[in-house]
Amino acid sequence: MGRYILKRLASAIPVLLGITVIVFLIMAMIPGDPATAILGSYATPENVEKINRDLGLDKPLVQRYFIWLGNMLQGDFGRSFSLNRPVLDEILDRFGATLILAGTSFVLCAVLGIVAGVVSAARQYGLADKAITFTVLIGISIPAFFLGMMMILLFAVKLRWLPVSGMYAIYGGGDLPDLLRHLIMPALALAAVATGVIARLSRSAMLEVLRQDYIRTARAKGVPERRVIYGHALRAAMVSIIPVLGIQAGFVLSGAVYIEIVFQWPGVGRMLVDAILKRDILLVQGGVVFVAACYVLFNIMVDVAQSLLDPRIKT
Amino acid sequence: MSAFLKLLFRNRLAALGAVVLGAILLLVLLIPVLPLKDPNATATADRFLRPFSEGHLLGTDHLGRDLLSRLLHGTRLSLAVGLAAALIAATIGSAIGIVAGYFGGRIDNLIMRGVDMLMAFPYILLALAIVAALGPGLMNALIAVAAVNIPFFARNIRGITVGLAGREFIDAARLAGLGHTRIIVSELLPNVLSTIVIAMSTTVGWMILETAGLSFLGLGSQPPQADLGSMLGEARAALITAPHTSVVPGVMIFLIVMSINLLGDGVRDALDPRLRSGALSRPRATTLVDRTGPVPEDDGKGLLALQQLQTEFHVGKRVFRAVGGVTLHVEKGECLGLIGESGSGKSVTALSVMGLVSSPPGVVTGGAVRYAGEDLLAMRYADLRQRRGENVAYIFQDPLATLHPLYRVGEQLAEAIRCHHKVSESETRERALELLRAVRIPNAESRLGDYPHEMSGGMRQRVGIAMALANDPDVIIADEPTTALDVTVQAQILALLDDLRRERGLAIIFITHDFGVVAQLCDRVAVMYAGRIVEQGPTKAVLAAPAHPYTSRLIACVPELGGGRRELAAIPGLPPSVDDLPPGCAFAPRCDKAQTACRQGEIALEGTGPRAVRCLFPEEAV
Amino acid sequence: MTILSLTRRTLFAAATSVLALGALSLPAQAQTPPGVLIVGQIAEPKSLDPAAVTAVNDFRILVNLYEGLVRYAPGTLEVEPHLATGWEVSEDGTVYTFTLREDVTFHDGTPFDAEAVKFNFDRMLNEDHPYHDTGPFPLAFFFGSVESTEVVDTHTVRFTLSEPYAPFLSNLAYPTGLIVSPAAVEANGADYGRNPVGTGPFTFAEWRSNEAVVIERNAEYWGDPAGTEAVVFRPITDANTRVAEMLAGGIDLMVEVPPTALGQFQGDGFEVVEQAGPHVWFLILNAKEGPFADKRVRQAANYAINKEAIVNDVLEGTAEVAAGPTPPAFAWAYNEELDPYPYDPDRARELLAEAGAEGAELTFYVTEGGSGMLDPIPMGTAIQADLNAVGLDVSIETYEWNTFLGEVNPGLEGKADMAEMAWMTNDPDTLPYLALRTEAWPSEGGFNSGYYSNPEVDRLLEQARVATDQAERARLYKEMQAIVQEDAPWVFVANWKQNAVTSDRVENFSLEPSFLLMLEDVVKN
Repeated sequence: MGRYILKRLASAIPVLLGITVIVFLIMAMIPGDPATAILGSYATPENVEKINRDLGLDKPLVQRYFIWLGNMLQGDFGRSFSLNRPVLDEILDRFGATLILAGTSFVLCAVLGIVAGVVSAARQYGLADKAITFTVLIGISIPAFFLGMMMILLFAVKLRWLPVSGMYAIYGGGDLPDLLRHLIMPALALAAVATGVIARLSRSAMLEVLRQDYIRTARAKGVPERRVIYGHALRAAMVSIIPVLGIQAGFVLSGAVYIEIVFQWPGVGRMLVDAILKRDILLVQGGVVFVAACYVLFNIMVDVAQSLLDPRIKT
Repeated sequence: MSAFLKLLFRNRLAALGAVVLGAILLLVLLIPVLPLKDPNATATADRFLRPFSEGHLLGTDHLGRDLLSRLLHGTRLSLAVGLAAALIAATIGSAIGIVAGYFGGRIDNLIMRGVDMLMAFPYILLALAIVAALGPGLMNALIAVAAVNIPFFARNIRGITVGLAGREFIDAARLAGLGHTRIIVSELLPNVLSTIVIAMSTTVGWMILETAGLSFLGLGSQPPQADLGSMLGEARAALITAPHTSVVPGVMIFLIVMSINLLGDGVRDALDPRLRSGALSRPRATTLVDRTGPVPEDDGKGLLALQQLQTEFHVGKRVFRAVGGVTLHVEKGECLGLIGESGSGKSVTALSVMGLVSSPPGVVTGGAVRYAGEDLLAMRYADLRQRRGENVAYIFQDPLATLHPLYRVGEQLAEAIRCHHKVSESETRERALELLRAVRIPNAESRLGDYPHEMSGGMRQRVGIAMALANDPDVIIADEPTTALDVTVQAQILALLDDLRRERGLAIIFITHDFGVVAQLCDRVAVMYAGRIVEQGPTKAVLAAPAHPYTSRLIACVPELGGGRRELAAIPGLPPSVDDLPPGCAFAPRCDKAQTACRQGEIALEGTGPRAVRCLFPEEAV
Repeated sequence: MTILSLTRRTLFAAATSVLALGALSLPAQAQTPPGVLIVGQIAEPKSLDPAAVTAVNDFRILVNLYEGLVRYAPGTLEVEPHLATGWEVSEDGTVYTFTLREDVTFHDGTPFDAEAVKFNFDRMLNEDHPYHDTGPFPLAFFFGSVESTEVVDTHTVRFTLSEPYAPFLSNLAYPTGLIVSPAAVEANGADYGRNPVGTGPFTFAEWRSNEAVVIERNAEYWGDPAGTEAVVFRPITDANTRVAEMLAGGIDLMVEVPPTALGQFQGDGFEVVEQAGPHVWFLILNAKEGPFADKRVRQAANYAINKEAIVNDVLEGTAEVAAGPTPPAFAWAYNEELDPYPYDPDRARELLAEAGAEGAELTFYVTEGGSGMLDPIPMGTAIQADLNAVGLDVSIETYEWNTFLGEVNPGLEGKADMAEMAWMTNDPDTLPYLALRTEAWPSEGGFNSGYYSNPEVDRLLEQARVATDQAERARLYKEMQAIVQEDAPWVFVANWKQNAVTSDRVENFSLEPSFLLMLEDVVKN
């Protein structure tokens, strides 16, 4: 197993290198000047030129790439000029918030999705199945940002049950219940689509598995039905559910961008959108590489989980 | 095509999706003739009119523009963009996928690495970066959305193509000297097209959402042009004061995406051949019992007795009478062979005993199954479950498919014991070891930790037998347990079963299509054809003098060792479909002795003593 | 097997915790604590180094942490002493000598003295200064005419200018002139912007990225202590969320209330505060090429746009129609005799017909939002509709603010015919000097992105800048305004009345014409 993990980690290196190249090239293609971000309304052409020189943007592209890559390998992601602080500090500050939001959403969508899918499959064509199918259909069809807006309107403004935005009450908050109160709406809004996708997939995976011969074997042995479904069938269905969890993690991470904007969540997604719009090249590059690395790592974890679950996978 | 449409609309949800989407499309197409206001004409004094205001059915937005008009124009634009993006992504992505899958090797490796990299980005970042590089605008948003979805198609289509590229017809085309382009276009493409269509129909909704997302962020359509995302984005500033301006486009996005999803599901289901049979439904814990006639009285015959058992499959409007009134019994220590061609209903008969026929579509419609006098069909699920494995156990045909692939065999054995007996873990393990030794598995100790896929076919079948023996059942129903095995292993397994029967006094119902096997093992034999027993009697007697023409043909199929070049007479024709049985003898169409009388009326199973036959003109009188 | 039952248990545990989460949400939201003022800002500050920032949003925090030698007297744009007790100006208007307060220390305990002042201006202006690299200092040109800063004695400092520069004092009162602690700059270097040290009534407490900047009452303050224990600045970039937070009681004070939301705050519990300031919102017209090279077309645009509708409907009365390039908030320099171009689409069509510009295709740069830009997309859309109505075919391109500036500041030539723009300034000199002179064309390093050129205007502006007498300056500016209005290099659209909403627990709050947010005296119950 250890060797398998190492092998998977090693295979991630070229992917990550490729990602650095892609990000770098895209950012190099973006027209416009980071200097205007620094200078604000008062950017004059000569000031812009000076700042570009200071930032080393006058050097050839290839040279810039290797300087950036070299620095990054030494842990120096450079300095964000729009925020006036080291890129890595900002990313680390923000990443925790995104991790809490996306992580909670991911757990929610995985748990709710699988439970809903399994229950739906177990009660196929029953009332629960119909209710779940219907809810799931709504979930996957509603844009997360619209759902978020409607939630704010209802629960925060009209009913005043939950805070409108942010991650902590700004004064006197900061404890866990406070965080949870702030987390409920964005996490649910973010989880909605993925929950639906996972529920649908879990349902069909369960239905597929329940038709297998080994389920009949289990029944012939006299295994109680509950165990047949929640044991034998679910375990086998997980083999096809887990890879989708990996894919959905990417969608959750992407959806976090909208949700972070709608709920003013101080996460890395919002930071990256701002950074892209502001042409904060180093922040975008650093942030994207960081996020992509985490995502790649997460997918390796998914693969490892898969190989733990399914002995047929050669490790 | 019409079959496709029929299938599609049989799915009521898909039909609903089609209706909603159709209505939206119709409205959008009617834009030029509808009496709509100019979607861009501002009238700031009339801003934020509520829905149903005079002259503005859906109210007005922050600049006093008519929401209904903007909604319809916006919907048209969003639909067009979503479709265009899906088409572009599907075309380019599929092309990449086909090239990678077809050529394989280094090209494949290179392309798929690139695809992996693109997929390692959260897609929104890639889309944002592309829009940032190209500048804002709906066209650029379209390109960005299409671009980020290309890897999805590429990966999907490559998977299918790799499978196809190794197939014979592609090799044949290559050998025929066709060029790569010809092969791809004329051989590969038609085969992956349905996958492409499925992938597209399930992603169009996503594309519309993603484009709306970019417009929502202000990177898509430029004012005053309306698309649904930008309408929502602009309305957001007035979410609290004038929520209707957000709700109107939001609900429209929802409706579109929902109807496309429903329709997409329908298309997928209709195109997916596996689902075409309508089989994707979950089998219940026990077979549905819906007996119309009276339940036969207990006649006290045998340990396990089937009386006039009828099992049908209800698929759509068609009814397959798989088991049409079978009466059988088996005594303690006896081995009964149940023999017939595939499709004759012998397996369904066996599975009906403990309610293991998949249901839906299976339904037991008549008769009784008595174990020690009790009617198993009338039992509550909990009681029936108690008897499964404990009193009546099964051995199935293909042990690779019938053992759970993710549990160690030790666990599966242990489970068989523990669902009926509360025993400690160590005792269970002891018992499991004992069982493995009883079925003569060498190194039983280490085998406990193996997964089914790590064992040979013969070993797996021994595990299957061990599992059946776990609770010392009185009856074992073995459903073609040796069919998947090679001849030497088969002989070993048969010998094993025979020993066990003698040692433990087991009653065995042995299902097979091979008279050779029956001859080795069974005391009595029953021959099934088209869901009914056509002949039964002591094995030796039947073998020596088959009465039914079908039986004699079956016996003739068995090659005899050292029998020289005896003619192996295959039975011409196919067994009849059990949803449309001819009147009279079901075998008559294939029988060279059939006469007019054979094709009329019910023919009874008659005979004297232990033998009986269902034939008007038996080869031997019984 | 145990794995499985465990999984199931975990599922149930997770499900129950979701339910528990729901229960947590039920208690109504706690109110903000008394003595702590929570301010909804429009964005995260870029830096808290006054020399490094340009945005009003950042100034709102800075002016409570720092002080300058002079300040705008409350409620006016008049300059009055602050850290300096007084000043003398030489006859020729090139030497300014300031006498400094003696009882002032920075929050880090180091003394405020002439050396500190010299350090501040040298850091900004002198490229050889050891801490010049803590920049860039985009507004350093405010003090571009300063040739040297000298320490006369501990509490006297002298600026020598290369030529008379009338806006000098006003610029000193601008946040760019706020004084930072040299010791803190030396200690923190490039990170000073996140570790600010000033002399003001509040000291910096913490900056949690994208959550809040917290400042606390300065117990050692030389003047009257601040009215609140602490002020928390929350960046809420989304106006709608800001409104929702305000309504939900999450913030006590919000600035730049979106016009559409004003109606929400009319009831009890809230107070809306308004204050006109020196702001002008206009459209830059490309006078170098295309239809707008013709003065008649530019005038037609001014006639065609319904500015009343924009300020009253789109902006819900949060602005007034602008008449010319100088906002009325500069009362002494404002030409009262000028009336705004009336809304007259027929006149516009006539002018267009005369110029033969009917049906001209125009590209219009619109921003998504930005300093002083109010509601730029709806405004731009309304303008587009008005121009379409008189037969001009206008297509909009929207850009994020910084990208927008990157497109507009280098000049519109070859790209666009018109662009939105807004300026908030502290002196009547600033905007026209930087954006209307021939020598302020982008190629010369100025902001005249529409290439307007009128030698008479150039001459008037140069004269006004070196004139030391305010009455003389006023006459020159008024003359300039009349010419510019007639030439119509811009479409003059609106002068903003900045607004803010407070909850009824906030007292003593008022807005300043300078757009600065002085919170020293505010009390929060």
